[in-house]
Amino acid sequence: MPSRHLPITLDRRGLLGLMGASGLAYAATACAGPGSTSGGGGTAPTGGSATDTISFAHWRAEDQQVFDAIIKGFAGANADAGVEQDISPSQDYQSSAIQRLRGGEVGDAFTAFRGAQFEDMVSAGVFADLSQQDFVSAYSDRFLPVGQQDGTQYGLPYQVVFLMPIYNVDLFEKAGVSELPRDWDGFLALCETLRSADVTPIAWPGGDAGNAAQLFNSMTMNNAPSEDFGTRIEAGELKCTDDWFLKTLSQYAELAPYMQDNATGSAPEPLQQLFAEQKAGMLATGSYNIAAARALGAEFAMDLVSPITTTAAEARFEGVHNATFILGVNGASEKQETAVAWLEHLSDPEVAGEYANGTAQHVTVEGVEYTNPDLERIEPWLSRNTALAPRYQFLDLDVEAAVEAACVAVVGGQSPEQAAEEAQKIVDEQIG
Amino acid sequence: MRRLTGPGRPHPALYLFCLPAVALYVVFFVVPTLQAVQYATTDWDGFSPDFERVGADNLVKLATGGDSLFTTALTNNLKFLLVVVVLQTMLSLGLALMLLRTTRASVFLRSVYFLPTILSSVSVAFVWRFVYDPNVGPVNTALGAIGLDGLRSGFLGNPDQAIYWVALTQVWAHAGQLMVIFIAGLQQIPEDLYEAARLDGAGRWQQFRHVTWPLVAPTTTIVVAYTTIQSFKAFDLILGLGGNPPRRSLDILSTRVYTTFTNAEFGYAAAQSLLFMVIILAVTLLQRRTLKLTQRGA
Repeated sequence: MPSRHLPITLDRRGLLGLMGASGLAYAATACAGPGSTSGGGGTAPTGGSATDTISFAHWRAEDQQVFDAIIKGFAGANADAGVEQDISPSQDYQSSAIQRLRGGEVGDAFTAFRGAQFEDMVSAGVFADLSQQDFVSAYSDRFLPVGQQDGTQYGLPYQVVFLMPIYNVDLFEKAGVSELPRDWDGFLALCETLRSADVTPIAWPGGDAGNAAQLFNSMTMNNAPSEDFGTRIEAGELKCTDDWFLKTLSQYAELAPYMQDNATGSAPEPLQQLFAEQKAGMLATGSYNIAAARALGAEFAMDLVSPITTTAAEARFEGVHNATFILGVNGASEKQETAVAWLEHLSDPEVAGEYANGTAQHVTVEGVEYTNPDLERIEPWLSRNTALAPRYQFLDLDVEAAVEAACVAVVGGQSPEQAAEEAQKIVDEQIG
Repeated sequence: MRRLTGPGRPHPALYLFCLPAVALYVVFFVVPTLQAVQYATTDWDGFSPDFERVGADNLVKLATGGDSLFTTALTNNLKFLLVVVVLQTMLSLGLALMLLRTTRASVFLRSVYFLPTILSSVSVAFVWRFVYDPNVGPVNTALGAIGLDGLRSGFLGNPDQAIYWVALTQVWAHAGQLMVIFIAGLQQIPEDLYEAARLDGAGRWQQFRHVTWPLVAPTTTIVVAYTTIQSFKAFDLILGLGGNPPRRSLDILSTRVYTTFTNAEFGYAAAQSLLFMVIILAVTLLQRRTLKLTQRGA
């Protein structure tokens, strides 16, 4: 049967109807417009009882089993309570946690990265105020300010990591290194000694922005004119074309020959292997990679070393630490009492020790006994003069990426001046 | 009075059948698009109750090159698009022509070439991240083993080459899928036309140029349009290969928009999304027109 063509025509009434429908749709979108919803905030309850099963949102899948054991202990002490872990990959967590947590459906208790994420979450009212909680006093005063804003204790940073190169103690001894360098010339001499011993002095994962930028912490901590240089770059007070940053970039160029070939394209995993097989003297990431190297079969002793980019007399810091994995109670949660009880449980030095030794991470809770040999070895760094990792001061991710990418570009062969100019151009565009 | 029924006019009740589809379209496309337009005129950060209306400032900044990160992402995307569309179309058409006849060997080879398509982009990315590793990856290792150390590359670490290496991965992953579409299209061409062409003395090239190419045009149009849209949306492959956020040399429009959202610039990211939509539309229309002209010329 031949098909009959039915012409579709739009008369005046139809047109008006279409316009009306569009108007309604636009009105509907306006109702859900920007800024029309807000988060919770408020003060977390004190002295309540744990009677719910709560969601605990975090990004550390590698800690899942240790947390499972800790949760068992929590449920044992609170018969009606439970904790379910809601784990996202760290990059996803960085990108989307704030949107997921705002509604309060997940993450009655949660964690945040130090820096932009913490600041944004506080602004959005995701963090409930923990200032009134007694267990806050269990934490070291040195690290508590990381979880504060305007004097209010919103979060409790739980982990301490050292974001500076780890090194193979045995390999250093074999190469004849008896003392760690205290200035820039000494650090270059160390690299030369390692190269003479036929090992790659520095394994640096330049192909992975997050890991590559950990070296940035050590390279800038003594060169920058002030500790808050990231904030000042975003405020337009400091520039990438300033002498101190050009010096930093030039020092990156000096380090390039001591890194593995094509360092700007290297992923972290093969370099962990290189380090574990004793073919590299240093792995320029952070203490969080010690456990990864152990998992790959490394049996040698490991410690931390930071490049000092100035003379010994000018150096302000010996290394870099970061206090992160900031614990919080969701201001939009209806199960805040249980969430508070969970945080209190984690703040117990015995439980914090279980977490620390099980995950090979130091914690900010005081009075913890470290039994993990690697943690014991680097425990002295907890009281040494280390800078709070500067790269997490940046609140604008594009500014941070531009500044850190300049360092990668220099290792790739670009001149420090050109890399600095390109970075500053982006910074200028972003801060407008 | 106007007749509602009768010859040539559908029964009014028939319009009701469209309602579910229209409702879904309005809720999931029209409303979000209008919302994006609304957000694009603000500086909303995505969570604060306060925001400023900035009018067309966001769009003006993007359209006038005031954001070099966006401009770089657009340039990378166009390079990626060009390489993927040309290589992928040629390769998939070539494979389809070679494997058109159904034999045991060709069925086996079709399966082999189609295999990467069923892998997730993230798996593909992680496999190729290893392939492209400059120190332990098989390419540089092989080059080193045969004494061609000079040709060893930094691959994704080389800002001038990085986007092309990702494009190559995309072609590897999807050529097999498009080969299947081309085979379906080629099988629709009547054998008589080839016989007639052969009787007229046409060689293989002339048969391809004057019979195959014009008649496979509808399939090519679909393949090119699909590949174009795919190239703009190669989000997971880029993040898998280049990390999150990807470095500037690997940033494409979709990853740029995502990074801007992550950076608590919801209004600005909405403006980028709108421009992104316009760019896809413009490129697709341009390609369709070019393809029509090419095939008319054939």
